[in-house]
Amino acid sequence: MKDILTIIWRLTVACLLAAIVMGGTFVFTNKAKKENALKNEQRVMLGLLGYSKLNPAPATVALHEVYRYVVSEGGRQAMGYLLPAKDGGHGACTLVTIDLDGKFLRQSQVTLAADQLADTVARTAAVQAALGQGATLRYADQTVVVTRDGKRVAYLLPGKFPGFKTFISVILALDQKFTILGLEIMEHEEDPGLGGEIVQKYFKNQFKGKGIETMKKIEVVKTPLPADYLKALEAEPGGGLGADEVAKIQAQYQDKDIYALTGATISSRSLTNGVKGIVQKFAYRLAILDRVVQEQKISVPF
Amino acid sequence: MATDKTNLQLIANGILNENPIFRLVLSMCPAVGISTTVMNGFMLGIAVLFVQVFSSCTISLFKNKIHPRIRIPTYTLTIATWVTVIDMVLAAYLPEAYAKMGIFIKLIVAFAIITMRLEMFACKETVNASFFDGIGMGLGFMFGMMSLGFVRELLGQGTILGYDILGFKPLLFFVLPFAGFFCVGLMMAFFNYIELAYKRGKRA
Repeated sequence: MKDILTIIWRLTVACLLAAIVMGGTFVFTNKAKKENALKNEQRVMLGLLGYSKLNPAPATVALHEVYRYVVSEGGRQAMGYLLPAKDGGHGACTLVTIDLDGKFLRQSQVTLAADQLADTVARTAAVQAALGQGATLRYADQTVVVTRDGKRVAYLLPGKFPGFKTFISVILALDQKFTILGLEIMEHEEDPGLGGEIVQKYFKNQFKGKGIETMKKIEVVKTPLPADYLKALEAEPGGGLGADEVAKIQAQYQDKDIYALTGATISSRSLTNGVKGIVQKFAYRLAILDRVVQEQKISVPF
Repeated sequence: MATDKTNLQLIANGILNENPIFRLVLSMCPAVGISTTVMNGFMLGIAVLFVQVFSSCTISLFKNKIHPRIRIPTYTLTIATWVTVIDMVLAAYLPEAYAKMGIFIKLIVAFAIITMRLEMFACKETVNASFFDGIGMGLGFMFGMMSLGFVRELLGQGTILGYDILGFKPLLFFVLPFAGFFCVGLMMAFFNYIELAYKRGKRA
């Protein structure tokens, strides 16, 4: 009996000590980790637009972040968009609330510091303060509008949807006509070798070049990937296949369905449906937002 | 029961006489699985070195407080704690290396060599001796992984540390996991042969 008590006591102390060490390290490293994740996200976003270290983005290209909130006020729900202001920024933002039928509700000015804007908690608190006490707020997602010389060229959409096991989080790049420019998988826990193959070029590049009309009715087919398409999907820039050749083959399969991964139909299907959902919802929401911004003459940089 | 070896002997013991991979034949999974390049071997070696040293010192420090009935859970807990710490530090400060090695770092918890060293050495010896034994074992593991990686990278891909040395790929299958078995076996035989030759030379 005494033995058991000693064992319990010592194990508890050991666990507590371990928890303190691990917790301390977590507190110590968390900030750097978050910074890395942010940097990585930026790099991926620029990569999707075709810019890299060797081919840096020109100064005329700017990324503008729009944050979407779900606002519940008096039992009714509405969408709240935090839009950056037109010139310079300096943290001046406009919060626009639009109800679910697309009707404009109100707009208010919010001023945020740069690091406040990047931090979800601080940003949400600021938006809450601008809305007043009556409303409850839930952060939904973020959209990046890419402009070049003040004109819109692309949208970057970080998104998250259920995969086979847990969530798959992606960043999707669309051009101004909602044609998919590229897809990058940020995080997933699919089975290695099966669903994990979604990160491979031959799968994720299948989405490239698909227009919004195609995306509306796209399905997953279980036929083998044609050999020439596979070559085009895996082509590296400056590799064996020329750029125009790749473009030709891509165009040929542009309206086709997505070829499923062998042994991972569920992963293929959930990724396809997830991307489909992101594109459609975004196109719908953006149309409403654009109309409201125009009607209310809100100054935005895009 | 304290060891009568000097610090330097303890380190040499880990690298040569009791090399984890070629002599003790422990932690064969990483040796077979991921010793495909010199760099992989080096990174995992560094991580194991840290975990081994930290765990050895911790166990040695608390050796009188550990109840003998629950020593294995305590060892596992200690190793897991240090692995988590190293995992977090790497993720925060060396993200590029972490992207490659992250999945293997977590596996270190189950490495036989570390538990075995705690059981055989650290729970009986002083902190000082355990520290040097940990360094020796870690370096020995790193040496084993790097020499395996050297052979497999050279023969499998014709490169060393990513630099093209041979210009062609002599034996492509050496990068595959099953070739790790051949490679470990052949290198073990090679090191045994060297030892034999050395001893014979000494006798004559």
